[in-house]
Amino acid sequence: MFKGSIPVNGSSRIISNVINVFTRGKRTKATNVVNASTQKIVNQLSALSASRKQPKLIRLCQEDLIKHQTIMNAWRVVQRRNEQKRNNQLKKQYQSIVNAMEDLKTSHPALYKFANYKPKDGTRFPLDLRMPTDFPPNKPWVYDYVPAETNEKRAKQ
Amino acid sequence: MSTSISHNFIRSFSSTSSVARTGYSTVHPVHHLVKVKKNALKPSFQEFLIPRDDIRAVGYKPKEIDQDRLMDYYHNTLQSDLMLNMYKHDSKKILGSKLRSWGNDSPFKLYRELKKPKGSLNQTRDINPITFKNIPQLESISIQIYNKDALENPWLNISSRLLLSQITNVKAKQISAKANILPWKLRRGKACGAKVELTGLDMSQFITTLVEIVLPRIRTFQGIRLTSGDKNGNITLGLDPEDVKHFPEVEAFQELFPNLDGLHITLKTNARTDERARTLLSSLGFPFYKPRRNS
Repeated sequence: MFKGSIPVNGSSRIISNVINVFTRGKRTKATNVVNASTQKIVNQLSALSASRKQPKLIRLCQEDLIKHQTIMNAWRVVQRRNEQKRNNQLKKQYQSIVNAMEDLKTSHPALYKFANYKPKDGTRFPLDLRMPTDFPPNKPWVYDYVPAETNEKRAKQ
Repeated sequence: MSTSISHNFIRSFSSTSSVARTGYSTVHPVHHLVKVKKNALKPSFQEFLIPRDDIRAVGYKPKEIDQDRLMDYYHNTLQSDLMLNMYKHDSKKILGSKLRSWGNDSPFKLYRELKKPKGSLNQTRDINPITFKNIPQLESISIQIYNKDALENPWLNISSRLLLSQITNVKAKQISAKANILPWKLRRGKACGAKVELTGLDMSQFITTLVEIVLPRIRTFQGIRLTSGDKNGNITLGLDPEDVKHFPEVEAFQELFPNLDGLHITLKTNARTDERARTLLSSLGFPFYKPRRNS
């Protein structure tokens, strides 16, 4: 009854005939395989570690080194000049603020008091003030800008 | 007249030692006691002695690789505005509370340890009026993650370190517990989070991302609390794990970060008061709000 269903000749026989030839030192199991979650952590660690990410040490010839140092020195000079320029500008602005306040103090004491008033919690800059971007919008400034709140109020009125 | 000693005087406890002195020292020579790491003087290690900002150094990392948009904006626009905003005419230096002397009416008070400052345990800083020299500026940002789950499963800390490194572009340091507290499962030395300190270009980049991308997309975000601040011009804000999702580095690779952590962000400024620091931060685009008393 079952004789006919079991394949006597065919693939099963061939598999059983494969001879396991033992070779010394040859790896029979894949030992380095870890489960997926462990592999994920290993990947995370390798992303954190510095190995193989640092570029090779730059070995410059004498001429290139001198070029590089000259450029860096020049760049530093430029930076320093800019900083000095900025500081001088600030100093001038500061002096003119002091002069203006001193002037106001003698000429218009009431206005001086108003100008010199500082709220206790400090003031806030408007949130509309934004850092310039590399790709500014086509219409950079809305001249007839109305804040959203007042718009709603107007609609109610 | 005082009597002089005929031989070479050597200070010692016994009278015989000076007489019966030979050319032998009982003091061990110092050069055997001081360790000199001679192997560090090897000529092949010379290149490790070069300072890091030199291109020949092993750890050389170019610093100025990009335009610093935030700093340009600060120097070109904000700095003078801040000076004008914070300038107060005829203002004097406000002295902080310092250690006090006990007086000098008694010799015992002269070298006595100084009295504690008035009203506080520690000394407080003087507050100088704003001039062109001390306009508040952002100095650095320190960001910290506390990962409670990492106390039980240490591998969870790796992902929070990676998260912080990915967001900030600086390799995060590991935080370890400082105390043994049993109910919190704290054990001294166990890893429980990550931290970074950002300066320069990384700081500017982080601020830009935070102000332009992350904070506007948080629905419930009202601003930084007005109660935040350490009275010395350093202001802290916190981000929930859901808010951290909005960082572009996390958003693009959501499957890589299954466990997100909240961030504690401290914005360190050289403004000496919180009010000045808040004005500075508002100029950079951070909103502030006054929390209700009940919440």
